[in-house]
Amino acid sequence: MTAIAALPTGGPGASEQFEQLYRSSAGDVYAYVASLLRDRAAAEDVTALAFERAFRRRALFDIRRGTPRSWLFAIARNAALDELRRRRRTGSLLHDVADEATTEDDDLDGELAERRLLVRDGLASLEPRDREVILLKFVGRLSNAELARVLRCSESNAGTRLHRAIERLREACGVTR
Amino acid sequence: MSRDELNPRELEELAVLDLILAREPVGEEHLELAALVDSVRAGAPTMAPAFAQRLDAQLEALERRRRFGWLRDGRPRVRRLALAGGGLVAAAVAFTIVISSGVLGGSSPQPLPGALHNFSGAAVATPTHASAGGAASAAPRAAVGNSTAAGVALLGPQALPVGGSGRLVERRSTLTLATTPATLQRVANQIVTATEQEGGVVANSNIAVQGSASYADFELKVPSGHLAPLISTLSGLASVRGLNQTTDDITDGYDQERALLADREAERASLLKQLAAAATTASETSLQQKLDRVEERIAAEHHAIDALLTEGHTAVLYVDVVPGASTKHSAVGPLGTAFNRALHALEEILAIALIALAIALPFALCALALWWAGSGIRQRARERAMRTA
Repeated sequence: MTAIAALPTGGPGASEQFEQLYRSSAGDVYAYVASLLRDRAAAEDVTALAFERAFRRRALFDIRRGTPRSWLFAIARNAALDELRRRRRTGSLLHDVADEATTEDDDLDGELAERRLLVRDGLASLEPRDREVILLKFVGRLSNAELARVLRCSESNAGTRLHRAIERLREACGVTR
Repeated sequence: MSRDELNPRELEELAVLDLILAREPVGEEHLELAALVDSVRAGAPTMAPAFAQRLDAQLEALERRRRFGWLRDGRPRVRRLALAGGGLVAAAVAFTIVISSGVLGGSSPQPLPGALHNFSGAAVATPTHASAGGAASAAPRAAVGNSTAAGVALLGPQALPVGGSGRLVERRSTLTLATTPATLQRVANQIVTATEQEGGVVANSNIAVQGSASYADFELKVPSGHLAPLISTLSGLASVRGLNQTTDDITDGYDQERALLADREAERASLLKQLAAAATTASETSLQQKLDRVEERIAAEHHAIDALLTEGHTAVLYVDVVPGASTKHSAVGPLGTAFNRALHALEEILAIALIALAIALPFALCALALWWAGSGIRQRARERAMRTA
């Protein structure tokens, strides 16, 4: 699940490895941030900021403290949460990305489009903490250990939070098993 | 079962979830979960091509700036510097301790705790209650003196002082130091300075700097209570060749003089009474002559008592500085001396660094605590922002 094993602290391979991490993660990071912020413009700013921070701090990366992907998502998460804090202070309005995404679903067959819409609404109705876990797992494709690293909790706690969030998403979508 | 524990079915589902995300095939019973994942991922926003290009360009620009050295990763350097600084300080502390403890060959001054040990090759004799001029006592030497200080009354001679248990004790010590001819003058100067710092005076001194025939000797007078610290200080100036200490209890002599004085004063009082009652001129003259003689004896007794008190209050230290193979400096030759001086300078630099560290450390700890607290507060604020998003 992890794109690369480690980011060397300098040396000739560092740039290539960072480039590899960027190529494999940029879309997922953006999707996670945009889902969290529900604002494309802000998500672009935050994603750019997160990669710039990661680039500048890449020499600080320590493989003993997690994988490069979890490290990158932790940076992105902090940047996104800082943006949320800023918004709360300034009372900025949201521009929901979900509205823009509906145009893509118009081309799908009815049942699939309906299901995706249902899931999207279900996801939007979740508590932010549950929604975040789902996004980190489903969109960020982090392992439970990486999830724990990003959320700053134990791996078992991360697994529990994930499973409960999935259950709540099922309930919100009216899915029965 | 704790809150964090999942049952086997739930654990299996999480394992299956990882398979789905890795695009591995899963059983039919998990297709619902796969569809859920697919729906969430499909609904996730995607980067606009324009933004993707901007992001590429931004990172390329960063990479270019890094290549040309315009972008510096400061923090790792700070960390490395902090580590290196910490290591240096630790090494400095260890080195200073080693030097101070004399493990490297005693190049630095070594005080003599108790003034009677901690030097090599020195003959020590500490007779107590030995008579002045006894075999173990140092012979008071004549003042060869290029300079002679006046005798001093270092303390007021009124109280019965000094030696333990209220005894009056005379102390005389002889310290023999060895140093190179080149450093003899410096050592001599340091002896004078140290004596003055202990509240003493140089009664006699004789210094001759003539190559291998150089020597210096001193007769120092110092308050008895400062004798041990002074010997300790002087022992650090050069290699100690010998230390000889003599104590002489003069309490009995003092008591005898006091008794004699009391008798003379009683005799004087009696004579004064007789003089007042004298009927004839002849008897008056006789009594007056007797009174004059008694007055002279009383003055002599006072002088003797004062002298004894001064001896009890004031210790005499004879210091001989001789040229020789000093274990501290000269034995190692000019190069060794230079090395020792360099070590001494380094020791002082490290001492200053340690003081600076002692001052800076609390500030650094405060800054660290503030940073740690600030970091925690910021993270909690982020989590709050997530809850209220």
